[in-house]
Amino acid sequence: MPLMGVPKRDRAFFLALLAPSALLVAFYILLCKLFTQYSLPAFRRYGLSFLVGTVWDPGRVVYGILPALAGTFVTSIIATLVALPVSLSMTVFLNEYCRAGVSRVVSSLMTVMGGLPSIVYGLWGATVLPNMLRRYVMIPLHKYLGFLPPFACSPVSGWTVFTAGVLLAVMITPYVFALINEAYVGIPLRYREALLAIGARPYLMAREFLRMIWPAVIGALLLGLGRAAGETIAVSLVVGNVNSMPYCIFLPGQTISSLIANNFPEASSYPLMLNALYAAGATLLAIGMCLNILGLTLMSRWRRCMG
Amino acid sequence: MRLSRDKVLNALVAVLAGAVTLGGLVPYAAIIASTVMRGAKAIASVGVIRFLTSLPPSPGSGELGGAGPSLLGTVLLTVLSTLAGVPLAFCLALLITEFPENPVSRALRALVKGLLELPTIVAGMVVYTLVVVPMGTPSILAGSLALAIVMLPYVTTHFETYLSSVPRLYREAGYAIGLSKAGVALRVAAPIVRKGLLVGVLVGVSRALGETAPLLFTLGSARYYYPSSVLGPGDSASLLIYNFAMMPYPNLREVAWGAALTILASYLIISLIVQLCVRGVEA
Repeated sequence: MPLMGVPKRDRAFFLALLAPSALLVAFYILLCKLFTQYSLPAFRRYGLSFLVGTVWDPGRVVYGILPALAGTFVTSIIATLVALPVSLSMTVFLNEYCRAGVSRVVSSLMTVMGGLPSIVYGLWGATVLPNMLRRYVMIPLHKYLGFLPPFACSPVSGWTVFTAGVLLAVMITPYVFALINEAYVGIPLRYREALLAIGARPYLMAREFLRMIWPAVIGALLLGLGRAAGETIAVSLVVGNVNSMPYCIFLPGQTISSLIANNFPEASSYPLMLNALYAAGATLLAIGMCLNILGLTLMSRWRRCMG
Repeated sequence: MRLSRDKVLNALVAVLAGAVTLGGLVPYAAIIASTVMRGAKAIASVGVIRFLTSLPPSPGSGELGGAGPSLLGTVLLTVLSTLAGVPLAFCLALLITEFPENPVSRALRALVKGLLELPTIVAGMVVYTLVVVPMGTPSILAGSLALAIVMLPYVTTHFETYLSSVPRLYREAGYAIGLSKAGVALRVAAPIVRKGLLVGVLVGVSRALGETAPLLFTLGSARYYYPSSVLGPGDSASLLIYNFAMMPYPNLREVAWGAALTILASYLIISLIVQLCVRGVEA
């Protein structure tokens, strides 16, 4: 059956390639097996209260991941809220108002920054960013918009949910920009010519084109959210790692991945903790899968409609 | 009147988009600048050779030191994970490009794309449970395996892009002189895009160089002695930065900045080669 449609003389080649590739399938099978086997006991014992419980206490064998879950959502949403307007502005500015040379340099610069190891972002985020953000952004926001619940608490330290969101924004902007820019550049030339023919100025061109590519923009947003939710190292260096609900974004918090990073090494010394962490990981995988499938579907629909 | 409103709006959008673009670039400039400045200071204060070879200082001693074992660990991890990941990626990419209609290779392609979105910490969890627990110790080998999993989809995707960019004409010429599919793929298509394949390998290397999350539970943190075997614990520059970044001891933070500059410089050099190669492929 796998040999379907493979001509006889290419079968040896096909099978020779298939043998090592089976390793990938094996990895997926092991992944599924491990995550079901280890997370089931936790899900079975705590049920829904695993997802909505706010207490994480290995000593009393009580595990609830709501604070981490909420932390993941809040940091990723802050990240996309910051990254999206920046990526859109970059796309418009580079394509409509810049010389081609400049725009090429900036986009390859963004590509390079997109691949920069997250630990470099993390070190900068852990040492330089918190104090800067606290002084110039968090304190003013708290002072003038403190009546709004997310800004209500006074920023005592710089290592907060908000800082993690901003650092994530810096990390995912190159990715979101690349996706949006690809869609924007891919708009067929005839649309540009049509708009030029009616004497449209660049801003009108940008408005029409952004309207055309909105499915790709939403797709990029969802993929960016997925990226942000899975990031571990940089986040656990800046988020503060305190297991509390992020009602206010100027307090230290926790995300699912930072929860795993901080607790996994000691997990085997507490009952059920390894299971709880695997269950947290399974939740993270489920969230990521939903975001990515949605995002990729939107992107591919956009590509198809552009032919 | 209508025209002038248009003009004003256009100028407004230009200024706004330009300002946000410039503002958006500031963090990247700041990251590069602070890593280069602080890292250069840390490395210069002990000397390049000593930084690359000597051990980290003991916490709070006020002495300075290097990151020798961790940097050697990064080199070992990168080499081992590339050796494991690249051949597998090549097989997968050939399968995907040479048998694009086959349901098996289609399924494998989807699995590769899925791996691209796997949180890297999950790779660490899996390798921990499957390799570290049975072996009884974290090891350089286990770390390399986790890194290989992380780099695999990136390398495969690059290989796939370049292999499928070979014009049909060349493939048909190969078939015309009686080559089999294997012959065409390995002797015609692959040599034509050899620069592209190099890009794929380098992208994998640059991934392995700086990844931290997959190593968190798999590598150990043997940074005060040189590893004697790949079956025992080791350390990487990235892990050293992760652990030293928040330490209350300034001399350890110095070492972290030095290690960060080493990673940054290696990454930028690799990226430069990649950009040059890509331009060569496109031309």
